[in-house]
Amino acid sequence: MKAKRVTGMLLVSALSVSLFTGCGGGSGENEDGTKEFTAFFAVPGAEINDDNEIQQIIAEKTGVKVDETWLTGQTASEAVGTLIAGGEYPDFIDGGDAMGQLYEAGALVPLDDYLDDYSNIKAYYSDEEWNKLRQDDGHIYWIQQFQNIKGEEKATTQNDEAFWIQARVLEWAEYPEVNTLDEYFDLLESYIEANPTMEDGTDNIAYTILCEDWRYYCLENPPQFLDGYPNDGSVIVDPDELKIIDYNTTDTAKRYFQKLNEEYQKGYVDPESFTQTYDEYIAKLSTGRVLGMVDQWWNFAFNVHDSLKQQGLDKKGCTYVPLPITIDKGIKNQWHNSGGALNVGSGLAITTSCEDVEGALQFVDDLLGQDIHNLRFWGEEGVDYEVDENNLFYRTEEQRTQAADTAYKASHLCTYSYFPSYKGTSDDGVNANWPDEQPGEFFDSLNSSVQKCFEAYGVDTYVDMLGTNEAPGPWYPMYSFSNAMTTSTPGGVAWTKMGEIKHEYLPRVVMADDFESEWNTYMDSYDGCNPQAFLDEMQAELDRRMEEAAKFE
Amino acid sequence: MSFEVKRKKEVVTEPKIQFSWKEAKRQKSLLIWSGIILIYGIIFYYLPLGGWLMAFQNYRPIDGLFRSRFVGLEKFQQLFSDATFLRVIRNTLAMGVLNLVVTFIAAIVFAILLNEVRNAVGKKTVQTISYLPHFLSWIIVTGIIHDALSGTGIVNDLLMNLNIIDQPINFFAHKEYFWPIVAFANVWKETGWNAIIYLAAITSIDPSLYEAAAIDGAGRWAKIKHVTLPGIRPTIMILLLMNVGNVLNAGFEIQYLLGNGLVQSVSQTIDIYVLNWGISQGDFSLGTAAGIFKSVVSIVLIVIANQIAKRNGDERLF
Repeated sequence: MKAKRVTGMLLVSALSVSLFTGCGGGSGENEDGTKEFTAFFAVPGAEINDDNEIQQIIAEKTGVKVDETWLTGQTASEAVGTLIAGGEYPDFIDGGDAMGQLYEAGALVPLDDYLDDYSNIKAYYSDEEWNKLRQDDGHIYWIQQFQNIKGEEKATTQNDEAFWIQARVLEWAEYPEVNTLDEYFDLLESYIEANPTMEDGTDNIAYTILCEDWRYYCLENPPQFLDGYPNDGSVIVDPDELKIIDYNTTDTAKRYFQKLNEEYQKGYVDPESFTQTYDEYIAKLSTGRVLGMVDQWWNFAFNVHDSLKQQGLDKKGCTYVPLPITIDKGIKNQWHNSGGALNVGSGLAITTSCEDVEGALQFVDDLLGQDIHNLRFWGEEGVDYEVDENNLFYRTEEQRTQAADTAYKASHLCTYSYFPSYKGTSDDGVNANWPDEQPGEFFDSLNSSVQKCFEAYGVDTYVDMLGTNEAPGPWYPMYSFSNAMTTSTPGGVAWTKMGEIKHEYLPRVVMADDFESEWNTYMDSYDGCNPQAFLDEMQAELDRRMEEAAKFE
Repeated sequence: MSFEVKRKKEVVTEPKIQFSWKEAKRQKSLLIWSGIILIYGIIFYYLPLGGWLMAFQNYRPIDGLFRSRFVGLEKFQQLFSDATFLRVIRNTLAMGVLNLVVTFIAAIVFAILLNEVRNAVGKKTVQTISYLPHFLSWIIVTGIIHDALSGTGIVNDLLMNLNIIDQPINFFAHKEYFWPIVAFANVWKETGWNAIIYLAAITSIDPSLYEAAAIDGAGRWAKIKHVTLPGIRPTIMILLLMNVGNVLNAGFEIQYLLGNGLVQSVSQTIDIYVLNWGISQGDFSLGTAAGIFKSVVSIVLIVIANQIAKRNGDERLF
């Protein structure tokens, strides 16, 4: 009986100790003196292992380690909304679309007084750019991490949206000129008639669309590009008259959806497009069966191209290349704009929960130094890349395959991707800051099918396939404003309702047996949300941005 | 000739309880423990109700509870003038009632059938396997369901092979299928678990009643109808009452994970509406208003159901 009692007590104490495992510090000091910070990024991403090698090296050099967590299974607004309701934040945060909510909730620390103490951070943006990041109360709360180009721009990948097609389709058709929507679909149709299945017998799918939640831009925003306008995201801006145009109601929009409807009725559009989740979509692309789609490079390329490489499908031509498509011949496309787009709507911020703001900023400052920057994006010298006699960085074939391997990425590579970084040229004036922008390295690392494709079209990079354009104007991009809208303004309410209507009706319009009547029903419901309120608010913001820019001329 | 014996409903007056200090001292430990639980209840269940104040304000986290601007019933007006919210109430009620009816019947039928199994080992195995899905999270279950009902999934494969259809049906693109799919998901996941209570109730029925029924010439089906079902009637009533209050909690996870743009007009529940228009927009007042609405309706439903049970002389909650 005594033994039973003792075991009982032991179990009780073990269970009660397990109650305390939930408690734990967030940031603090480790035993070896490195500081630890926490970070949360409201975008999907992969966590790296705790014993990640390069993270350790960076920790030794800077004295700081950051534990990064990413968004899973929610939207940014939901995740951030929950954080605000709870009142406890990580040390660093990038709230994505919900950045404005964090600001409203008073969760962020104003950074402008600290800027002068950190030379790398101060040099990161010009005064005009820092000014764009100021909020209503005049302070700067976050640092936009991307599209910052140092020195000479070395744009190789089309990092944005495009109509993508597999290299093998172009090869089969002997690299034709594809410039319009009709030519694109004709090409897909003829390829699939000739090659209905992959080598192993699974069906090819001509065209698929991702419509899940906020990613439904794959379905709804091509009309702006098809008319030859750049990616302002939610509206078209007429650069001459500086007026806002709604791309949902243009003639091009109707023609685009009509084309999709025709293709759907003929059976070339994947019937699961409207119900598939993002994971299912990526899995589908990774099988190499999908011939073409509209998407943004960062949404699929990192997962899918690495996966294709691991399966050897890239050698069979399953890699995707972009095509310069507009609605009619002769329209100049603006799929790609140079100069980077400063998305002032979000960025890296430090929260009021951080106990060591100066230490945090020092870390960000260190990350922008060229040595650590190379560690982040190139890796360890001798292990991840080699240096030749002209100080040019390059990778061997094994190093390239290694860098594409998911397990290797988690255990060895640490990019701190959502901390500020540079593209463009390194301080040594020779190398690119990112390996895939190093011209020689870029071309050599392409698989043979893409190389053949580029040679046939007489281009060197993905961007050259589309042509590049200058940034359209100081207001660009407008999506940084519309993403941050909330229902506290009538424009924001209209915007949210428009989103709901489009989510429901656009799939129906594509699947409809009678396109005209379904389109009219859609337009009636669309008008019912008062889209003019939204357009008016965007126009006011456009005017405000032009005024701000005028101060710096 | 059959006599109908009318039983007069007797009004039973319960004797008044006298409070005496001597009694209290003897039941000291009971009182202390009840006191602790009472305090716990007050702190964690009643004190947070102060947050209901948010629904009558234009709550901003930066102003806090006491400094946000008071707007009265404006948020409630906003809710009830929104056609989407009314539609969402319809969806929640429909799915809630459908789930309630279907899972109830399924659990009772399953319990009764399982009880009739003679083989003890078989019975235990089936029961264990049946309540395993309860422990899976909805993410896993909806992942399985989404896959099984997809164009290349098991269900379509089966239907095609049996030549019932010649093109795979995209189940999630059709509004008519959504509510049944949700009901089915609930049944699949919870039947085994819900049946446990009924099985326990069945085993507590006096076996001599069965013997008496057998003597009167009752077969298996008659025994179920006249002994088992009336025997577990109190259990059924109590569980029904408790679940009636839960009808508006028709769920959030299933609809969030299985819904999409095409079926959103039938798939969105009150919780998803609160997520889209409340939390995601930083409009916590709206979310609280919707929550108050849910609580009020649930209380009303339970009180009504309880009164009905009282009048029928059945078991009731209070």
